[in-house]
Amino acid sequence: MAQATTTESAHAKDAHHHGTKSYWVVWVILLACTGLTVFTGQHDLSHVFPSANITIALIIATIKASLVVWYFMHMREAAGTNRIVFVTSFVFLLVMIFGVFGDLWTRSPMTLPYHTPTTEGPEIEVPEGGAHHAPAHHSPSPEHHE
Amino acid sequence: MSSSDEHAHSARHPHLAEHFETIQQQDYAARLGMWLFLGTEVLLFAGLFLGYTVYRHFYHATWHACSQALSLSLGATNTVILISSSLTVALAYWAVKVGKRNLALGLLAFTILCAIAFLCIKYVEYSHKFHVGELPGKWFRAEELMQYPAANMYFTIYFLATGLHAFHVIVGMSVLLWVAKGIWKGRYTPDYFVPVELGALYWHLVDLVWIFLFPLLYLI
Repeated sequence: MAQATTTESAHAKDAHHHGTKSYWVVWVILLACTGLTVFTGQHDLSHVFPSANITIALIIATIKASLVVWYFMHMREAAGTNRIVFVTSFVFLLVMIFGVFGDLWTRSPMTLPYHTPTTEGPEIEVPEGGAHHAPAHHSPSPEHHE
Repeated sequence: MSSSDEHAHSARHPHLAEHFETIQQQDYAARLGMWLFLGTEVLLFAGLFLGYTVYRHFYHATWHACSQALSLSLGATNTVILISSSLTVALAYWAVKVGKRNLALGLLAFTILCAIAFLCIKYVEYSHKFHVGELPGKWFRAEELMQYPAANMYFTIYFLATGLHAFHVIVGMSVLLWVAKGIWKGRYTPDYFVPVELGALYWHLVDLVWIFLFPLLYLI
């Protein structure tokens, strides 16, 4: 912590020499990233790999967000505790989203909402007929017997 | 501010509250409090992002069709506006730190104008949706999207997420207005600028949320 405090005060002193160049550079990168995400968003990239569009969009958004946090919000000069506090909230955001996503990806068809038309990601195999009467714990394997 | 040019090291800092020993300690506490608050803001939006994830998983085609119904050009314009306003608020913070009062005020005025422009564009988008009936829940009546199940859920999440975000834009704008008033009155100077820093942090968070909302809502 002592180290973090010295960094902070050291920075305050050289604020005058720091200038604003890094802000402008980050701004240009952010605009370029916005252009890139609009471009990739207008093309169907699912032939590259399934869910390519949302994956690329989220990677670009994460890069943009990191730049904003690191340079505009001065996380690079922030004290250690402040970094931990903010990053922890993102960690828990990811825990929540991926925890729920893990459930969604591994559900058996019967637990899906009524007439769910398409499911993305690993295809959930719906056995011929009788799927809606199968017990909730039925196996999604192709060898599933009647 | 012009009265004393003493480098107040021995005297008590004029902005130091009674319950703090040094101004460094007070600044440290203020920054930590702000980052904690921003952490809870992230988690506030997390619930909406989670709802988005779940429904998009179930109604993938619906999500794609509904996102096509949004105006990409308006969404992209708003993204550029918010990113640029984030730049100007960062520059305003720097200007206060190096004592360029008028520059700081000009940059903050530009930032607030950006916020107003953002809200105006949002209004155009919302009024179009009200007109064609792309609305949440039972109010949904957009004919061309009727064939997609749960299309109304897309617009529920759209309005909740962008509405909560727009509310943050209004709050952020007010905070920046308050910060600008302080700079105007000479309260924030190179000797004391933490409130400017915290106000700017809030505005960056508004930008941060939009950076994720934009691709998820408009580009899927």
